[in-house]
Amino acid sequence: MPIIQTRDLCKSFRSVRRQSGAGGALRTLFSRQYDEKMAVRNVNMSLEPGELVGYIGPNGAGKSTTIKMLTGILVPTSGSIEVAGIVPYQRRKENARNIGVVFGQRSQLYWDLPLIESFELLRAIYAVPATRYRRNLDDFIARLEMAEFLRTPVRQLSLGQRMRGDFAAAMLHDPQIVYLDEPTIGLDVVAKEAIRDFVSTINAERGTTIILTTHDLADVERLSKRIVLIDRGTIIYDGPIERIKEQYGTHRTLVVTFSEPQRELSLPEAELIENEANIARFRFDRTLVRADALIREAAERYPLLDVSIEEPDLETIIRRIYVEGYQEPSSKAPREVPT
Amino acid sequence: MLRLAPYAEFARKAFAREATYRIEVFTEIASLILRVYLLRSLWTALYAQNVTPFNLPLHAMITYATVALLMSLVLEVDGTRVIRQKIREGSIATDLMKPISLPAYFFSDGVGQTGLHALLVIPSVLFALLLVHIDVPSPDVLAAFAFSFLLGYLVNFFLNFLMNTIAFWTLETFAIQLIVRWVSDLLSGQIIPLTFFPGILGRVVFALPFAAIYSTPLLIYVGIIRPAEYGHYFTVQAAWLSFFGLLSAFMWRAASTRVVVQGG
Repeated sequence: MPIIQTRDLCKSFRSVRRQSGAGGALRTLFSRQYDEKMAVRNVNMSLEPGELVGYIGPNGAGKSTTIKMLTGILVPTSGSIEVAGIVPYQRRKENARNIGVVFGQRSQLYWDLPLIESFELLRAIYAVPATRYRRNLDDFIARLEMAEFLRTPVRQLSLGQRMRGDFAAAMLHDPQIVYLDEPTIGLDVVAKEAIRDFVSTINAERGTTIILTTHDLADVERLSKRIVLIDRGTIIYDGPIERIKEQYGTHRTLVVTFSEPQRELSLPEAELIENEANIARFRFDRTLVRADALIREAAERYPLLDVSIEEPDLETIIRRIYVEGYQEPSSKAPREVPT
Repeated sequence: MLRLAPYAEFARKAFAREATYRIEVFTEIASLILRVYLLRSLWTALYAQNVTPFNLPLHAMITYATVALLMSLVLEVDGTRVIRQKIREGSIATDLMKPISLPAYFFSDGVGQTGLHALLVIPSVLFALLLVHIDVPSPDVLAAFAFSFLLGYLVNFFLNFLMNTIAFWTLETFAIQLIVRWVSDLLSGQIIPLTFFPGILGRVVFALPFAAIYSTPLLIYVGIIRPAEYGHYFTVQAAWLSFFGLLSAFMWRAASTRVVVQGG
């Protein structure tokens, strides 16, 4: 049975229509016209317990709005949600006991007080039993290496330290479900990796269900098997990462280095996309031509020094999907792709 | 059922948070002492030039002014300004994701802040005694004063709560608060005893809710409100308290509906 289930979830916002100019501003003050904007449109999402799903979309696509509805602080315009058997906006406080939330852009720690004091406060808020609190805290201190700054006021922590504190804070009460909103934003490579490790262990060891929104697709590739793509409020893809990679990642780039610059270049079934100094790049579809055939052909025609093949990364693929829209492969329809 | 443990913890944390700003704490005491000195000089000069009001001789007036200043240590703490801050920063969303009652959280946070400032009353009194003589009434009167002060504190709390909740609609409440603050400074009896307002004006200021904050406890302290009248004045304070309490509950309902529907 799914732990998170939404059906035809919609949310529209009403905003005041502003009129331009000083006269317009005055008119806006007195007579109000409203614009309706659909932030989330017919979202159907279903997560099994223990799943870790990447929720991806450009800014303003409706990711945060969905998360807010799942946490119960926003009432949907229409459609239904159920999180661990609870309708979040009807029973906000009960729902809050089941969830943990981390915002990369916003700390939930007490700014002026030492980190440990925020943990103690959360212990009181969630009524975490003393032994469980101690066990979790010790575990998190070790995993996130927080011992050295546990007594430092939060405002003096570095971003990386603060994020580690925020993660521990969100997990102290053993939530069944965790929402991570841009958790690695602004972090350096080492800190990012530490956070990813932590998320992955929590998910694996405790079976925590996790929804991860991020712009950093490396997070998603590293952590989840399934992604949900949302654009302009509508889910455009929901399924394994591997599938869109196979489907959209049929193009490879052949990078060829010559012993001297070449003026005229061409290869069969490949498109020249760049030719600068003595390096050229060809794009080809691996379903139409094999890489080794292409390399052999290139070696016969030109003096080669070096050859390499670049695979498309998830980011390139997803950018393409946003621009072109997602097309289902003709053979088999992926599950739950509302149009 | 409201579990009290988290709220006790909120109050403790707010207390600790306020205590981290040590310089602010010291300046607060220093500024209070300065104001005690200024008011003593002012009232002494005014009394020398005018006819002494029959029921408030100079020593009672100086007591009144000093006790009013000490009360302001507690009453000028806007315990709910965190609401406004949280709305502007948007962090109110994270609070809503916790299994807590937000009004109860703001109340306990306010109580914690007040707690620290209440402690400052002790050193302030000691310093003030170096400058002025304060009359001390009988234990009965003191108890009545304390009770009335508590009611006044709560009226003041809800008044602040109401104003800060306006931020849900306007984001900024500075101008409104400034106006209310000026009006309340003048009409609450903090600076001038309300008995000094003549005729109809006097009746008006006594009918306003601001009188419930400073004036009633202070007039009890200096003995202008006599024990026989306590019941009446307590009732008026309690009435204002219920009025603002209910209005706050109503405003909060409207505000939280707005947040969950419009997304803050």
